[in-house]
Amino acid sequence: MWITLLIAHGLAAFMLLGAVTHQALGVWLPARGKSAAFVNRVRAVPPTSYVNAVVVLFLATMILGGIIYTNYRVGARLTLERGRFWKTFGAFELKEHIVTIGLAVLPAYWYFWRAPLREEYARTRAMLTTVLAFIVWWGFVVGHLANNVRGLGT
Amino acid sequence: MRVAPSYAVFTVTFAAVFSVVYVLAVENNWALFSYAPATGTFAPLVAPAAAGPTMYWYGWIATAAIAAGAVAGLASLVPESVAKWIWPGWSWAVPVAVLIAFGYLLSGYFLR
Repeated sequence: MWITLLIAHGLAAFMLLGAVTHQALGVWLPARGKSAAFVNRVRAVPPTSYVNAVVVLFLATMILGGIIYTNYRVGARLTLERGRFWKTFGAFELKEHIVTIGLAVLPAYWYFWRAPLREEYARTRAMLTTVLAFIVWWGFVVGHLANNVRGLGT
Repeated sequence: MRVAPSYAVFTVTFAAVFSVVYVLAVENNWALFSYAPATGTFAPLVAPAAAGPTMYWYGWIATAAIAAGAVAGLASLVPESVAKWIWPGWSWAVPVAVLIAFGYLLSGYFLR
């Protein structure tokens, strides 16, 4: 069951990473003009189209991670301590708190991306998206690092 | 769907208060409940597990969420003339400050 949950957590995180990265790129580096180039098409996405997906995927990823965390606490965490993997250990401790702060900003993120978009909130939207993108990237990379130390089913 | 203007005040206050209360909850261990993963049992407030490690993370989140929900609920009642002076940037500035604070608090792991 734990492996199934861990894979589901990873897949949800992967989709969330894609959605929030697309949105952040669309906010900070919007495409200028039309071009068929891959990078330009990535930047040309309408940022509003990702909002609900980001909210749902963030909650789903966090709930799955919260369930798996109990298993990590009695197993993998001890391996990190005994092996003195302090940087990975600390990065994962930080992940725990960073994703919780993501939960705090999620209602504001959702609200300020509601249509019709008000121009005076453009900077707030951009910053909330950037904060969420940082949180998601940190969680994704650190999750992989911890998994590499004590991997699936080991 | 139309969202009431008071929701803007609610979300900004929620983000700021949740972040501050959460870091205080972690530092002072203000967990609303504790969980023992080895035995699968919950206990109110801070209660060390009878066997294995004790998890306070869920309790810290609950503490921060309830406090932030209550404060943000009250804040959303302020008149619109007052609400328009609330800077929406608090919704990201305070969380970013708390993220930096956590980085500092846990920096010992990266300096060993």
